[in-house]
Amino acid sequence: MVKAVKGTIVKCDPAVKQVIISLDKKEKVIIEDLDENHLLIDTSRVDYIKKEVEKLLEENTYKSELDKAPN
Amino acid sequence: MPTVIVAHFKTNIYEYLEALQKSTLDKLYEEPATCLAIFRLLPSLARQLVMSLLFSTQIMSKADLKQWIKNDKESLSYEALDKLQKLHIMIEQENKTIALNSSFKQKFQECLTGGGTHQSFGKLYNKPHRHSQSNSHKLPDIKLLDEHAKTKWEEILHFMVGTDRMNSPGASVLKVVTKANLMREKEGKGLEITNKGFQFLLQDVNTQVWAFLIQYLDLASEMLHMNVVEVLNFFFMLGSLELGQDYSVEGLTDTQRQLLDDLTNYGLIYRPKKSSKRYYPTRLATTLTSGNSAIVSNVASNNPTDDDDSATEQGFIIVETNYKLYAYTSSQLQISVLNLFCNLQFQFSNMVTAELTRESVRKALKHGITASQIISYLTSHAHPQMKKRPALLPSTVVDQIQLWEMELNRLVITNSYLYKEFRTFADYEVVLKHANTLGVVVWSSDSKKMIGITEAGHERVKAFIKRKIVQRRSNGGDTTSSAGGTPAR
Repeated sequence: MVKAVKGTIVKCDPAVKQVIISLDKKEKVIIEDLDENHLLIDTSRVDYIKKEVEKLLEENTYKSELDKAPN
Repeated sequence: MPTVIVAHFKTNIYEYLEALQKSTLDKLYEEPATCLAIFRLLPSLARQLVMSLLFSTQIMSKADLKQWIKNDKESLSYEALDKLQKLHIMIEQENKTIALNSSFKQKFQECLTGGGTHQSFGKLYNKPHRHSQSNSHKLPDIKLLDEHAKTKWEEILHFMVGTDRMNSPGASVLKVVTKANLMREKEGKGLEITNKGFQFLLQDVNTQVWAFLIQYLDLASEMLHMNVVEVLNFFFMLGSLELGQDYSVEGLTDTQRQLLDDLTNYGLIYRPKKSSKRYYPTRLATTLTSGNSAIVSNVASNNPTDDDDSATEQGFIIVETNYKLYAYTSSQLQISVLNLFCNLQFQFSNMVTAELTRESVRKALKHGITASQIISYLTSHAHPQMKKRPALLPSTVVDQIQLWEMELNRLVITNSYLYKEFRTFADYEVVLKHANTLGVVVWSSDSKKMIGITEAGHERVKAFIKRKIVQRRSNGGDTTSSAGGTPAR
C-alpha cells in the first residue's frame, strides 16, 4: 500500500543534520530520516528548528573580542 | 532563515526597447532625436553597419553584408545583427536581402544632415530673458544645475536609505518606488526598503536613472495613461540636449508637459519656476544616452570641486586583508550605502573607517543583498591604489563574504508529501517517472523506494496513482499486486 506522509523536507549538510537529530532527542521532530542530506520533519516545528539550529551554530562561531567592544 | 531572492531587475533601456512591439518601435523611429539616441545605444559593430547602409541605395544581400565583417568576429557580428533585427532597425526580407527600417533610415538621415524640422531636439528659448538686465534673476549656470540634480536625486536615494535628515520626496517619486517594488508599505506606517531597493542603491547613477525611468514608463502607461512613445521620445530628446542651455516648453504635448513636472522632481530637469516657459536639462538628463558615467561622482560627492571629482570618479574604497575598510568620501549617501553592509567605526572630514564583520554582512544578506552585489560594489568603487595589486580585492575578504552567504542558506526547506511503501520497484518507478515529468520531485531514493513530492504536486500525483489502481483492477482484477490503496491523508 502506498502511503503519503505530509511533512517538510529539509535539505542540509551533514553537520546541520546532526544538530537536528540531537534536537529530536529532546523533542520529536523528525518523521523520517531520508539520507545524509535530507530529513522529513514536522511542518509545524520548522520555525522552531530554524531558530534552534541558528542558535547552536551561532554559539559555535568564533567572535573576536574587538567586535564585542563598544565602538 | 530567509531565502535570498535575486530578483531580476530590468535596468537596461535596451532590454525595454527590445520587448516593445514592432508598431511601437516604428512610431518611435519617427523622431530624429530618438533615432540618434537608439543609434548611440547600439554596439559599435552595429553602428558601423547602420552607417554603411544608411546612405546606400543599392539592395544588399545578407551574404554580402556578412562579407563586410571579418571572420574572426563571428560572435560579435551575430550579436550586432541580432540586436538590429530585434529593434527592427534592420529588416531581413524574404529574398535574403537586408534593408534598414524605412522611417528610421529617413529620419536618421535627416538628423545627420540637418534636414527637416528640429523640434525633435528640443526648442531653444529664443526670446531675450526678461530679467537678464536686472540683477533680480540670474541665468542658472552649470554649477546650479548640478546642484539641483544632486539634491533632487540624492533626496530619492536618501529617502530609500532612510537617512534621518530627509524630507519625503514628491508623491510621484513615492509611486514609482512602490510600484517598482524598491520599497514597500511597512505594517503600521511608512515605507520600508526591499531587497530590490538595496540592489538599486548599489548601482551607478546612470543605471539608477535608467532603471527609475523605465519603472516610470511602466507606471506612466498603466496608471497615468500616457503614450509610451511620447514618453520615450521625450527621454531620448533629453539625452540630446545641451547642458546649461535653456529650452522652451512651447511645442511640447500635454503629456510631455506633465512629464516635465515629474522629471523636475527627479532632478533631471531644472525650472526656475513651476510656471516658467523655460526648462534646463541637468547632467542627469544629458548623460542619459552618452554612456558617460561622470555623473556618478558629481552627484555623489558633497563638494563637487574638481579635485574631489577626479578622486571619487576613480573610486574611494580601500579594503584590507584584515576586513578593515577605508572610504575616502564625505558624502552622507555613500556612507549610508556602506552602512548597509559594514560596521562604521570613525568618521573624519574626508574619510570613514569601517569594518566588514560577520554581523554586518549577515544583516545585509538578510535584507536580500547578495554577496556578489557587495563584492561588485566594492570592486567598482575601489580606490586607484587598490588597482595596483594583482587582485583588486583581497581574496580572503571576497571568499569570506561568500562563505557568510552560504552559511545563511544551510537549511533548504520544502513543504512536501513523502510517498513510501510502494509494493514493487516497478510501481515506484512509474510514479517517479510521472512526477519527474510534472517537475514536482523534491527528493527520491531508489533503495528506499521513497519519493518526496512538493505540496503543489501532491494532488496530481495522488490522482495519477488512483488512476493506475483503477486501471489495474479493471485489467486483471489482480488486486494483490496493485500499487495499492488510497494515499493516506
